[in-house]
Amino acid sequence: MMIVDMLTLTSWKSEVSDLKLQLRQLAGSRAPGTDDSKRDLFKKVISNMTIGIDVSSLFGEMVMCSATSDIVLKKMCYLYVGNYAKVNPDLALLTINFLQRDCKDQDPMIRGLALRSLCSLRVANLVEYLVGPLGSGLKDNNSYVRTVAVIGVLKLYHISATTCIDADFPETLKHLMLNDQDTQVVANCLSALQEIWTLESTTSEEAARERENLHSKPYVYYFLNRIKEFSEWAQCLVMELVAKYIPSDNSEIFDIMNLLEDRLQHANGAVVLATTKVFLHLTLSMADVHQQVYERIKAPLLTQVSSGSPEQSYAILSHLHLLVMRAPYIFSSDYKHFYCQYNEPSYVKKLKLEMLTAVANESNTYEIVTELCEYAANVDIPIARESIRAVGKIALQQYDVNAIVDRLLQFLEMEKDYVTSEALVLVKDLLRKYPQWSQDCIAVVGNISSNNVQEPKAKAALIWMLGEYSQDMHDAPYVLESLVENWDEEHSAEVRLHLLTAVMKCFFKRPPETQKALGAALAAGLADFHQDVHDRALFYYRLLQYNVSVAESVVNPPKQAVSVFADTQSSEVKDRIFDEFNSLSVVYQKPSYMFTDKEHRGTLEFSDELGNLSINAETGDSVVPAQRVEENDKDLLLSTTEKDDVRDPGSNGSAYNAPSYNGSVPSATSQPLADLAFSSTGATGQAPAPGLAIDDLLGLDFSVGTATTPSPPPLTLNPKAVLDPGTFQQKWRQLPISLSEEYSLSPLGIASLVTPNALLRHMQSHSIQCIASGGQSPNFKFFFFAQKAEEASIYLVECIINTSSAKSQIKIKADDQSSSQAFSTLFQSALSKFGLP
Amino acid sequence: MPPLMAIEFLCRVADVINGYLGGLNEDSIKDNFVIVYELLDEMIDNGFPLTTEPNILQEMIAPPNIVSKVLSVVTGNSSNVSDTLPGSTASCVPWRTADPKYANNEVYVDLVEQMDATINRDGVLVKCEINGEVQVNSHITGLPDLTLSFANPSILDDVRFHPCVRFRPWESNQILSFVPPDGQFKLMNYRVRKLKSTPIYVKPQLTSDGGICRLNVMVGMRNDPGKTVDSVNVQFQLPPCILSADLTSTHGTVNILSNKTCTWSIGRIPKDKAPSMSGTLVLETGLERLHVFPTFQVDFRIMGVALSGLQIDKLDLKTVPYRFYKGFRALTRAGEFEVRS
Repeated sequence: MMIVDMLTLTSWKSEVSDLKLQLRQLAGSRAPGTDDSKRDLFKKVISNMTIGIDVSSLFGEMVMCSATSDIVLKKMCYLYVGNYAKVNPDLALLTINFLQRDCKDQDPMIRGLALRSLCSLRVANLVEYLVGPLGSGLKDNNSYVRTVAVIGVLKLYHISATTCIDADFPETLKHLMLNDQDTQVVANCLSALQEIWTLESTTSEEAARERENLHSKPYVYYFLNRIKEFSEWAQCLVMELVAKYIPSDNSEIFDIMNLLEDRLQHANGAVVLATTKVFLHLTLSMADVHQQVYERIKAPLLTQVSSGSPEQSYAILSHLHLLVMRAPYIFSSDYKHFYCQYNEPSYVKKLKLEMLTAVANESNTYEIVTELCEYAANVDIPIARESIRAVGKIALQQYDVNAIVDRLLQFLEMEKDYVTSEALVLVKDLLRKYPQWSQDCIAVVGNISSNNVQEPKAKAALIWMLGEYSQDMHDAPYVLESLVENWDEEHSAEVRLHLLTAVMKCFFKRPPETQKALGAALAAGLADFHQDVHDRALFYYRLLQYNVSVAESVVNPPKQAVSVFADTQSSEVKDRIFDEFNSLSVVYQKPSYMFTDKEHRGTLEFSDELGNLSINAETGDSVVPAQRVEENDKDLLLSTTEKDDVRDPGSNGSAYNAPSYNGSVPSATSQPLADLAFSSTGATGQAPAPGLAIDDLLGLDFSVGTATTPSPPPLTLNPKAVLDPGTFQQKWRQLPISLSEEYSLSPLGIASLVTPNALLRHMQSHSIQCIASGGQSPNFKFFFFAQKAEEASIYLVECIINTSSAKSQIKIKADDQSSSQAFSTLFQSALSKFGLP
Repeated sequence: MPPLMAIEFLCRVADVINGYLGGLNEDSIKDNFVIVYELLDEMIDNGFPLTTEPNILQEMIAPPNIVSKVLSVVTGNSSNVSDTLPGSTASCVPWRTADPKYANNEVYVDLVEQMDATINRDGVLVKCEINGEVQVNSHITGLPDLTLSFANPSILDDVRFHPCVRFRPWESNQILSFVPPDGQFKLMNYRVRKLKSTPIYVKPQLTSDGGICRLNVMVGMRNDPGKTVDSVNVQFQLPPCILSADLTSTHGTVNILSNKTCTWSIGRIPKDKAPSMSGTLVLETGLERLHVFPTFQVDFRIMGVALSGLQIDKLDLKTVPYRFYKGFRALTRAGEFEVRS
């Protein structure tokens, strides 16, 4: 291999020097046909350059040959120079001369190309030669040259910002943007200025103001009026701008939407999506129009999914997924669009499966599940797994569970290991939510031999069911016993942990049959090298030693069905992503700060701290000296509230003093956390027996946590608060949700809520103003706001009331986050008085 | 960064280069570095897309076709770049050359449709949809203003237009009114949902027992569309658990590749007898029955019919007083046409 490489290397070298010689011969020649031979040589040079061979040694010769009138030769020469100028700044100086001359050529195309190449040299000490040609380029009477010059200004800015600002180019661009005939020039100005002003705004207030100005009415209207002249790409740029504009009233919103409606029919998907964003953001405060917008954008977006490349479908589908999370009903009748095609790449299929889960409701569940079941027999195993999971997710959404359980049980009988594994995990989750299905499921699960299940998650699920339903499964103790016998062959700690617990549960239900297995399991667990397994075995052992009935109440308490499984993403994060519609945030399913901002690791450190706290609490299984508790407390307080001087050393000896002392620091937002940590360590400190410690720990935690919530400081609201819709909308977008709660309404209140207006007047009498409302029975949606008396601090509320369930969901955003709890109480009391005489 | 802007642009670059070089692959790019560079130069600058209309680009940079090669040999002037900038960059119709001249004025309108269908295990049509395109090839002198109307526009579920189409006439009367770009372009895309039937049927049957699976596939015409169905092709992937396959057909040829892709090329379906393919598949030892079922992908082509039923009513030329030749064609192809077993 080496020899071959060496050979090719030498052949390249000789080829380059050969080229050099030929170029030199041609440089001075004026004979006819020279251009043709030059062109062949240049082509060779360019292709060598492109495949990565260093031909920079030809720089001098290339520049010498550049004296030509042939435009293709010129283009190739520009390309070469642009590529190598950066590494040869000294030689680049040679090219300045001929490029500057070409900038004054008669042919506008040559002028443009020369100017572009000149700006693409990117050599810092040559910027002085740029200013002149750029200035005349911006004034050129041909639009092609002007478009190039505008982008040239941006390039100059990136090489040397001061030169660009000193020459007053941004001001010239602004003038061009507002006055040029050619829309491409205007569009380039817009994109260049956005970039320059954004970068400048960190240091210059004027630039920041200019950038804000771009979102003002005169600018936005100017661009909107010319929107049809713009190229499709420039239209996307303008739409971005319009999406940030805040119209002053509703008629303005409708005007803009009418103007842009035909953009939804554009062949370019980027334009369609950008328009969608404008529509969605403009109508945020008008609930009913917002619904109509969903209806309107549905068909164009679905067309985009089914036509176009898989990459396009993926990008659109991720946006649809976001929309369906906000309005699940919109695609419920179009679910067939999300059926997977055999040929699609698996990333598209996976997203489609998520869509199918999201759009499932009472009316379409049967069809969707039938379709998903077909995928389970798919050749593509990862997708088969995903689709089984999707079936399970739909089941957990509680539609038509009856039929789905039958399907899942059929999966268990399919005799394919991965299908069985996935189905087992699902049946377990299903039983946690719908214990009433246990009879049917257990009958089937009982037939599965544990030898056939290999995957840890599935095995753990099976073992969990064996333990939980050991009274119904005839041979449960014996199956568990054989599993315990093979303890050493079980590699997954998760499975071993579940096995320990399952044997314990089984023991409480069928003691004589399980006693042997339990002994063996505890012995094996105590000898286990895995720390968690060892600890759990030890814990169970001591628990049993202390008191068997207490042990049963700890290990096998009566369980309530899980109503809602923890959602992975908070609604706040989803709102953030929605604000960044039509950007990569949607595709990554993360708000942009999560993948751009390095500082957001702060939250990770915080969670580390939480981990420490819980470990502190667990180690307290023996009596902890008071001194150590004190030290712990000090550390915790330092790390969470960062206040060391308020601490009174005398009050820390006993745990009972702690809450009242904590209550005296009402301002910190991390207050509940401090409370929790404090009380739990305190509790373990004085508890004598480990079993009791656990009970106490849980009990105390809870009561102390709620008891010490600082009593709300009196909050009064300004009865004549004013806020215009624009500011509301802006604030709503900017502020994070500080509180999100659910209240119950009094039956009287529900009865009075026939139209939204009734509630508006009522809330107004409590100094809470309404800015927008909508909906029909049983679902109403309101946006309220209120202002603190004697302060400018504003509270914003989104309130969704469902009269059939008599529940209201409240989201509160506030300028002053610390008082939002107090405001929430006020809001709740106002709401609860609604309908009372 | 709007994700679709990047993806759409990349697709457009691929289309343009494909159009110029007659194929997009490593070799075609290596042979034409210079043209690719020139194109990219005009299409994007500093990360912002500029001209992506193929018609305009062709005026700035001539494609490397045989004609220009011959021409360069004859005249000795082999520049593939036009001397002047395209006039339209300054005109109000950015997609059209300023003033083309033709001896014969002609417009060809093609309806090209793709049928996507999914038929499930029980032979039920789960989903059937058509994605169609109206392709226009126009060669008319001057600045023509065309109107195109359909006999049954109500069947269209969703439409997307080339920038040249005026939106208002469509919204009020479903008439396409436009000033066409010169040459070939895509006037509109449309989608027709919920079709009731497919032109051909494919019925696979698999029965397995004792480690052997019997396979039988029937293909035939369902609703005769009046035109011949040709280029019929059935393709499927044998599941990994199959050791060997022995398949024969009554019509056409069966091919099994080493990656277990099986292709049955039928060609034209004979009028008198429906073709079928049958044979046995040997399963892995220890496996009694087949659990993973293949999906059959079907390909076909019907000339002269738009299966959606869309019909062009008339095409008129306003503004320019020439006589001109109008041509209409239709074609339906199978898109993602799949039959599960």
